[in-house]
Amino acid sequence: MSAPGLVRRNLRDRRFQLLAAALALVALTFVARPLPLTRNGVEILAVLDITGSMNVRDYVGADGKPQSRLETAKAALRELVTSLPCGSRVALGLFTERRPFLLFTPIEVCADFAPLDGALDALDWRMAWEGDSRISAGLFRSVEMAASLGTDLVFITDGHEAPPLPSTGGPAFDGKPGAVRGLIVGAGAYALSPIPRYNDRGRETGFYGSGDVQQENRFGPPPADAESREGYNPRNAPFGAAAASGTEHLSSVREPYLKTLAQATGLTYAHLDGPAGVGPALVRAATPRPLPGSLDLRPVFGGIALALILAVFAAPLFGAGRFVLVKKV
Amino acid sequence: MRLMADFPWVLWLLPLALLPLAASSQRVTPLSSIAASPVDGLSRLIGWSLRAAGILAIGGLVVALSGPYRQGETITRTGIGAQVSILVDRSGSMNETFAGMQPSGAEESKAAASRRLLGEFVGSRAHDQFAVSAFSTAPMLVVPMTDRHEAVRAAIAAIDRPGLDYTNVARGLGMALSQFGASTANVSRALLIVSDGAAVIDPRVQGTLRAEFARLRPNLYWLFLRTKGSPSISDRPSGEDTPQAAPERHLDLFFKSLGIPYRAFEAEGAEAVADAIGQIERLERDPIPYIEQRPRRDLAGWAYGISLLGLILLVAAKLAEADLSLRRPVVSASAAPAPQPQRLAA
Repeated sequence: MSAPGLVRRNLRDRRFQLLAAALALVALTFVARPLPLTRNGVEILAVLDITGSMNVRDYVGADGKPQSRLETAKAALRELVTSLPCGSRVALGLFTERRPFLLFTPIEVCADFAPLDGALDALDWRMAWEGDSRISAGLFRSVEMAASLGTDLVFITDGHEAPPLPSTGGPAFDGKPGAVRGLIVGAGAYALSPIPRYNDRGRETGFYGSGDVQQENRFGPPPADAESREGYNPRNAPFGAAAASGTEHLSSVREPYLKTLAQATGLTYAHLDGPAGVGPALVRAATPRPLPGSLDLRPVFGGIALALILAVFAAPLFGAGRFVLVKKV
Repeated sequence: MRLMADFPWVLWLLPLALLPLAASSQRVTPLSSIAASPVDGLSRLIGWSLRAAGILAIGGLVVALSGPYRQGETITRTGIGAQVSILVDRSGSMNETFAGMQPSGAEESKAAASRRLLGEFVGSRAHDQFAVSAFSTAPMLVVPMTDRHEAVRAAIAAIDRPGLDYTNVARGLGMALSQFGASTANVSRALLIVSDGAAVIDPRVQGTLRAEFARLRPNLYWLFLRTKGSPSISDRPSGEDTPQAAPERHLDLFFKSLGIPYRAFEAEGAEAVADAIGQIERLERDPIPYIEQRPRRDLAGWAYGISLLGLILLVAAKLAEADLSLRRPVVSASAAPAPQPQRLAA
């Protein structure tokens, strides 16, 4: 047989064709450009409640020791920041009293990760400028702040109002529900736990007792059932004669209340089960922001080429090569 | 130089690269007796180079799929700049104008003016490092010491939002000092306080602050945004000269008594603020070590290249295959040697 004849026969060989295809694929990896595509990122304003009830230790930390809600929320935020795709932006605010306080406007989560992580790490209840915890007022103003920044909102709180809401309920949301999307994250366990108490030097000195906090809000008109209370007098004792009793000195996550707030503001409610889990909930609730990304096609070509070469080499081991040969001859 | 891979587990497939030692990609030719042909060096060489080509083709692809890269490096260089810890007063009065009024129309509040001018200051020199703390009743760490100017500007962009209640400068000073960190010894440090008022520093805290200032020895700049008509730093009160009566004057005296380089700038308008910031920029010109990031280098291309080399050899060998069984008339030892490496696969 002549040389061209041999080559022609070789060209018909199945294993030659496989190898040639692999060669072509590997050669393609040098010319293929990454495929441009858009990914979904988020832009959020994270507002963290740093009021006293967030110091309640009703989570279990990684080392098995009790961990405060605040520490768990910080861990969750750090986890969230690392899980967001590059190009997402995060602004950070604190909440106490009745308003959020913006620490910084949105910054990018990858390039500026170090300062963002440092700022999250430094969050402390000692940054609080006042002791009140008017959740609904703080939430509504956080929604406004997120709107002014053009971001979504992640509001982490345990929903513990201090002082308690009056019988007439909290303030009403006067914004447009759903105009700002995002999450209300309820921090805390469902069972009541004592709230740690700190002295003016910031050292822990025990827990709040039932007499240390306001158990009932006695500003404004008395509740409807006041007339049936013992010692009720419309002028002298409109709330009844007995001292208010209750469990305001203990704290749990006020989930029904937070769900009502979520409904009023058009946000989504999610419970904070631990450091992980905020990310997926946020992605469902937040406005997707297209981010430029690219897909490297080389592994696809390389993977197929590898499979082809392996098939070529493995074929004789399973007798296929001989079969081909016999058939061809 | 450190080599890393995105998907190291893919490297577990590397033993597959030994497959060419067990099997050949070439056609198997039946031969009556391998002993009939003489030992041939060239055939042996071709046989081994084809095995090597197979190993390269498979191994190269496996390595390429694992996403190899050379890790980025951080190189410490020396530039001109300083570590600047900015301490911003976020008390409510910062949202008033320099005339002590609510801003209206084109008027600029003190906070807005300092936001604009500080934002220009940050990033005007590449190697400065900044930290931002805020204080009202309590001190707040906003951004720790960083060379990421974008993040610092984001922190400064937030300072003209509505402020909080009071001015408690002592704890703020403590936090701003804590931002310097202990490690860097011969770095020029500057502490820049932007406030529109002052408060009494608790005598109990004064000792601690003095010790911290003496240890860190920062250059201290106080940018005092004075409201028109309010007392100046240097004004002696007409009545009793106590810290309660004239907190600004006594804060100034406290700073002067620290024994560190200190300058106070009294600004009564945006131009004066710009002027003061310009002066600080000129004063803080010292060498500072900074970190340069070398990006990581993708090495997958090289691995694909190696694989390509092996594949070219394999394909060429497949093309050059000659089958002895088809050349029955000329089966002889002399015709055999060159293009039949498979003969060696005994």
